[in-house]
Amino acid sequence: MSFPSGIANINNLAPEVPVQALEDFLSTPMFNLIHSFGVDLYHAEAYLGKTTRMSRFERLSTDGGQLDGSGIDPAPEVPVRSDIDAKMEIYAKSIVVNEQVILWENPKTYSKFTSLLGQWMREKEDLLMRDLFASSVSYINCTGGLNADSPTSLSRNDFNNIETILLNNDARTMLESIDAMDKFSTSPTRDAFICLASTALTLDLQNIQGVQLKNAYPSQEGLRPEEYCSISRFRVFVSSKAAKKPGASMLGRTVYTLPMYGLESAAKIEQNQYTAVIGSRPSWVVSSVAQNSGLYARFAIARAITNQNWISGLNATTFQPT
Amino acid sequence: MAATILTQGTFTSTGVGVKIPVPQSADYFIARNITQLATTQATGRVVTSEWYKDIFNPNDGIRWKKTNNTSAINIDLFSTSTASDGFTYVTSSPVTEAQAANAITAITAASPAVVTQTQTYSENDILRLYNTTGMLQIAGMPFEISSVSGTGYTLIGLRAAGFAAPATNGNTRRISAYEAVDPQFLYITEITQALNAVVRTSVNPARYYVEGMLIHFSVPQSFGMTEINGLTGKILSVDSTNYTVTIDIDTTGFTAFAFPASSAVPTTPLFATYAPAGARTQFNPITNVQTGYDFTFQPFRTGEFTPFMFLAAGAQSPAGSTGDVIVWQALKSETGIISANNP
Repeated sequence: MSFPSGIANINNLAPEVPVQALEDFLSTPMFNLIHSFGVDLYHAEAYLGKTTRMSRFERLSTDGGQLDGSGIDPAPEVPVRSDIDAKMEIYAKSIVVNEQVILWENPKTYSKFTSLLGQWMREKEDLLMRDLFASSVSYINCTGGLNADSPTSLSRNDFNNIETILLNNDARTMLESIDAMDKFSTSPTRDAFICLASTALTLDLQNIQGVQLKNAYPSQEGLRPEEYCSISRFRVFVSSKAAKKPGASMLGRTVYTLPMYGLESAAKIEQNQYTAVIGSRPSWVVSSVAQNSGLYARFAIARAITNQNWISGLNATTFQPT
Repeated sequence: MAATILTQGTFTSTGVGVKIPVPQSADYFIARNITQLATTQATGRVVTSEWYKDIFNPNDGIRWKKTNNTSAINIDLFSTSTASDGFTYVTSSPVTEAQAANAITAITAASPAVVTQTQTYSENDILRLYNTTGMLQIAGMPFEISSVSGTGYTLIGLRAAGFAAPATNGNTRRISAYEAVDPQFLYITEITQALNAVVRTSVNPARYYVEGMLIHFSVPQSFGMTEINGLTGKILSVDSTNYTVTIDIDTTGFTAFAFPASSAVPTTPLFATYAPAGARTQFNPITNVQTGYDFTFQPFRTGEFTPFMFLAAGAQSPAGSTGDVIVWQALKSETGIISANNP
């Protein structure tokens, strides 16, 4: 009777379990959330219907007003109120988990699923706000780029044009608000408007005259990771999920829309007694033999452009040398 | 629970594609043409259409088609030879239809403009026009089409008599009538100089706006009437025939509105648009009529509900021909996706 001889090594005696799981999961990819932090947050009371009204009194006319001493009163003016309505909508996502997943796999799976649902809520909210900007705001085509499409690629003149539009409409920069510091710091531009752009445009952004990339800001304190650069009075934030319209340019290329806005131009409204709920359903509820349990996330949101004067934006294509 | 019928219904075809919302999503979808099941046609018709999630490309599926002059059944895919339009499952908005870009051969410089194009579009479809050689000032704009025939259609929203030349080339791609959020911004094609200006858009504004709503104007200098840029007006009336709204802004002293020349593109700013800016209520205590609060149109809300299943229309397609009665069902499997590696 013979027996194997020599050194027992991994060639002749492989480990019984060839893999081991790391203690923690790797990061779940998440895109930059850029569409919510610059808008105003309001809350809707429960039991009062699903439509929230935001009202604004418009300025009184500055025409006339001088008294001529005759004793005749000037004509009284009726104040004008504009009402902006937003409809509350509910979104939800669920995960059903079989007990064998819990029994035989990583014990952190269940808690990871919970955090996935939390991430889903943040991402979904961001996309809903993106859709609001993309659908309900007037955009101007870029004309200063060099790619011969319409809209063209981005240029400094296009940014300046939107700044003029916002200033002509008396838009206020974000630093008018005390919480702007908390939202995106104040370096390098104190009086800044917000610009949201696709990550597909970063090459074009780098080539704009006068651009200051984030790494060149004099102070890095408090900056949001989503920020990419500063152009004129715009702080530019980028996301891979920013709005775009396929086949919408003069030449049939993808058009990217860049919302550019100041204070109080858009709002999101959360529903009191409902917003952002994460819960679980025990197995004896989900399954008749108690084998499946459930996790769910729900949130309610209404969204609105609250002042069209204070929001504008650019349509752009990306520079593609021909 | 292997599969559950989530929702089901029936409709009578009008000869145009049908969108069926499937809020719970669907793993399987079936449509049966009840009318054509009872007929024998010289050219056999599709009587049953099936779709499985994660199996088919857009505009595809399985078609059960009667043989010519008999009720015998042939089964193949919508995408096989003698292809016809099938199912498209849409999960996000806005929607650009997955189809080849169709070529235009001419757009007249007339009011309204008339497009020459061999196509299968339907009345009131919305198309994005691009590569419009000779009319580059409208390239990229969406237009609603009417008076549709197999060889062309009319653009009520485009008064092109003032254009220097007709378009001699171009392409179209069909898009959804609704954006992800409504009310949406619209493209302006004409503004009159009047005490109450009349504003024409490239699509029918009655689909999105009603009397009493406010609209904010964005009109670049290249369109002439710069005085209206940045103003907000109230809609006094909506005309769905001419795609116009009448507003409470006096434009009599304003510069005339005009499209820039085609040759000025792309260096001239485009486009002229208006966007929703809320509403102003008005109440008449004598007639008890209140305007300005229309909770169907006014609030910002989801425009295009997704997911939905699009059933293409036609004799060889799921939504059938005009008059056909279609019964449909959406089903969902609880136990995983169909492409899972199950024996």
